[in-house]
Amino acid sequence: MASSAIKSGALVSLEEIHPSSPFFKQGASLRVTGKLQEYSVETAIAIVIDGNANLKINTQHLRDLSFRVGSVYQFIGELLIQPDNEAILQARVGRNVDGIDLNLYHQSLQLLRQFQADHLSTP
Amino acid sequence: MDQRHRLYNTHVKLLAFDILSLTQTPSHSSSEPISFSRKGTLLSRAETVGTITSRELKPGKFLKFAIDDGTGCVSCVLWLNHFSSPYFARRSPPDVRLIAEAANRFAAEIRLGAAARVRGRITSYRGAVQITVSDVVVERDPNAETLHWLHCISLARKCYDVGTPNK
Repeated sequence: MASSAIKSGALVSLEEIHPSSPFFKQGASLRVTGKLQEYSVETAIAIVIDGNANLKINTQHLRDLSFRVGSVYQFIGELLIQPDNEAILQARVGRNVDGIDLNLYHQSLQLLRQFQADHLSTP
Repeated sequence: MDQRHRLYNTHVKLLAFDILSLTQTPSHSSSEPISFSRKGTLLSRAETVGTITSRELKPGKFLKFAIDDGTGCVSCVLWLNHFSSPYFARRSPPDVRLIAEAANRFAAEIRLGAAARVRGRITSYRGAVQITVSDVVVERDPNAETLHWLHCISLARKCYDVGTPNK
């Protein structure tokens, strides 16, 4: 991946973003998916949820995206871990993914990780 | 056709990490100075689906963009120089006009954050694998990327990796 200036957003589920997770790193590029629970026009901070997990998203750099509570969104960006250990994703891109099958998404993600691990062990 | 060439003219569906780890070998052909292979099988075309995460337009020259499928970021170049390139000067003007119109339409559809399916030739720029784009389809189905992962995994296991000359 060193050849590309833009880092790929690793595919993670919201419940994997916790302090003891390997994805919980300052500046980590991640792709997250969740249902919009709250959105503030003043701060451009969104909160997305998936199951029992939630994550704050800073959407100030996103244009042409309208936010509707209850809709499902996907964001790619960098994780900012604040001094109190709260994480906020600084979104670079985002889109509405209403209609996504989240069960299929999470199951496919496990298959994808397994495939990638197998491929890397037998190049 | 020998085993090494069995996928040569196919748009192989590959995940980005797989595209980025293709083996590059200098070739003796002047039109294709580098050949690309995966596990010993020669490839010339690929298909990828992902989210557009960068976009740099040089009007009348090219649109360079990055497509991120969650396993890597693939650089893509869409040429927009059909009326100034000597390569197209040899072709009939109506054909060139159609190709140019399609390329301009694709360029307008490539927007940051959109999910797109991109097909094209596998090329190399400054040592890194990239795709020289021939087709773009913006995906409206939010499950398109998930289904692409599954296609890539299934094709690799049932087709691309089967009988590879250099597994």
